Amino acid sequence: MSAAESATAIQRNQVDLLDFIDWSGVECLNQSSSHSLSNALKQGYREDEGLNLESDADEQLLIYIPFTQVIKLHSIAVMGSEEDGPKTVKLFANREHMGFSNVSDFPPSDTAVLSPDNLKGKPVVLKYVKFQNVRSLTIFIEDNQSGSEITKVQKIALYGSTVETTDMKGLKKIEDH
Amino acid sequence: MVLEATMICIDNSEWMRNGDYAPSRFQAQADAVNLICGAKTQSNPENTVGVLTMAGKGVRVLVTPTSDLGKILACMHGLEIGGEMNLAAGIQVAQLALKHRQNKKQQQRIIVFAGSPVMHDKKALEMIGKKLKKNSVALDIVNFGEDDGGKTEKLEALLAAVNNNDTSHIVHVPAGPNALSDVLISTPIFTGDGEGGSGFAASAAAAAAGGVSGFEFGVDPNLDPELALALRVSMEEERARQEAAAKQAAEEASKEEKGGEEQDATMTERASEGASEADNKKIEIADDDDTSLQQALAMSMDEPTSSQDLQDTEMSDAAAEDPELALALQLSVQDSTKDSSSQADVSKLLADQSFVSSILASLPGVDPNDPSVKEVLASMQNQSEPQQKQDEDKAPKKEEEK
Repeated sequence: MSAAESATAIQRNQVDLLDFIDWSGVECLNQSSSHSLSNALKQGYREDEGLNLESDADEQLLIYIPFTQVIKLHSIAVMGSEEDGPKTVKLFANREHMGFSNVSDFPPSDTAVLSPDNLKGKPVVLKYVKFQNVRSLTIFIEDNQSGSEITKVQKIALYGSTVETTDMKGLKKIEDH
Repeated sequence: MVLEATMICIDNSEWMRNGDYAPSRFQAQADAVNLICGAKTQSNPENTVGVLTMAGKGVRVLVTPTSDLGKILACMHGLEIGGEMNLAAGIQVAQLALKHRQNKKQQQRIIVFAGSPVMHDKKALEMIGKKLKKNSVALDIVNFGEDDGGKTEKLEALLAAVNNNDTSHIVHVPAGPNALSDVLISTPIFTGDGEGGSGFAASAAAAAAGGVSGFEFGVDPNLDPELALALRVSMEEERARQEAAAKQAAEEASKEEKGGEEQDATMTERASEGASEADNKKIEIADDDDTSLQQALAMSMDEPTSSQDLQDTEMSDAAAEDPELALALQLSVQDSTKDSSSQADVSKLLADQSFVSSILASLPGVDPNDPSVKEVLASMQNQSEPQQKQDEDKAPKKEEEK
């Protein structure tokens, strides 16, 4: 089908946005200290099934990811177990410093309800038009599959492409001769 | 030196009229609050502190988180005692105030003074605690005054619900001869999770040598690695020469503390100095004999009033060394638990010519081959009179000011 073909064509241009994450600003509210966000995001850790991001006081998680340059977000893959994996995931683009109290203050840029397929690794395609100019992404995991007290996330992967912006860190001073 | 926004919840209920903490519970609490505010703003100039009262007509925020110490102290005046403490509402309002802090990079902390009985049940307190933990707010509880109806148990449950990696603490202060503030100084509430107490706290409590040594190593990685190295070396030298200089240092130490306290007040407004300044400081400590410390302090106390307003960075940098010098001197002297002097380690340090010249070479304004500097070094090793040293001390200082 042409729609399916174009979908996969788009997919081919998408890269894993891991390299564009600004690690110094990454934050996660309500994570358990022994099972932190790095287990779900970082290369190597996220492939390891034994290492999960776990919630602490209750089942919700609020993850804030800034990027080093402006990106377009195409899809997101969230992997977890069938019982404790996340269910409803809300994404907010370009909102800084959100807290659990203001997640309901404005509508999310997109919402994803994860099926068992998604939890096995199938990426969820997002509303691309809403994520054209993303400097930072906030991921709000509202609940999990079985309604248990702790939500466990094994892997979070973001797929998209970059807008041609200057990476300020790549700017080097020209040597005076 | 954690960057933190703190809200202090004061109990101004009827129970605070009691005099079992001298002079009254309320007064003891107020003193403790003043000390905490000072310590927080001292440990990091960007820290902010706010105050609210929990009793009276209702929870009232007296001052929103600010780094202006004067404003905080001013709002403590004229507080009225009355009513009943509403702990749950107090904590929730404090959390709200922290949520709207201006600098979102600050860690959130609430300090609660719980002096009267707690009306809420354990369940409600645990819910509040969980909410605080979820929003990564740390909570310190000072349990004093009334002790009945399972108050301690409830507060412990609240702490357990909030605590995340030992960032939250509870302190039980029974009534007794020690003032509330004195008991608190040695607790993690003051010393900030074992990072080390601030210089303010150390000077306020005259004999708090333990707090100061904590401060030194707390500063090490964050502030000045070179200063830290120098201080560490001096500590080692001190231990070797303790007996000889102990008596002399005891006299000097008591005079210096007084000078050091006033310096702390001016220090709070100063920006942090670079590593080269740390080296300058160390050399100037090295240059001083203990008996010339007084003259150095007198000089430095003259200079800060003019230096504070200076726009010229060069001059202010040079002049700024002196109050820093006083504080660093005070720290290094207080470091030795037996009040031994920095002179002992200093002379040994200077005896190592290569060490000194390497440090001097790294200083921006000092040329090791400069005749005046060489003269100083030669005289150091000869252990000349204090007066002569002080003159030479002024000479390298002027050299660096150029």
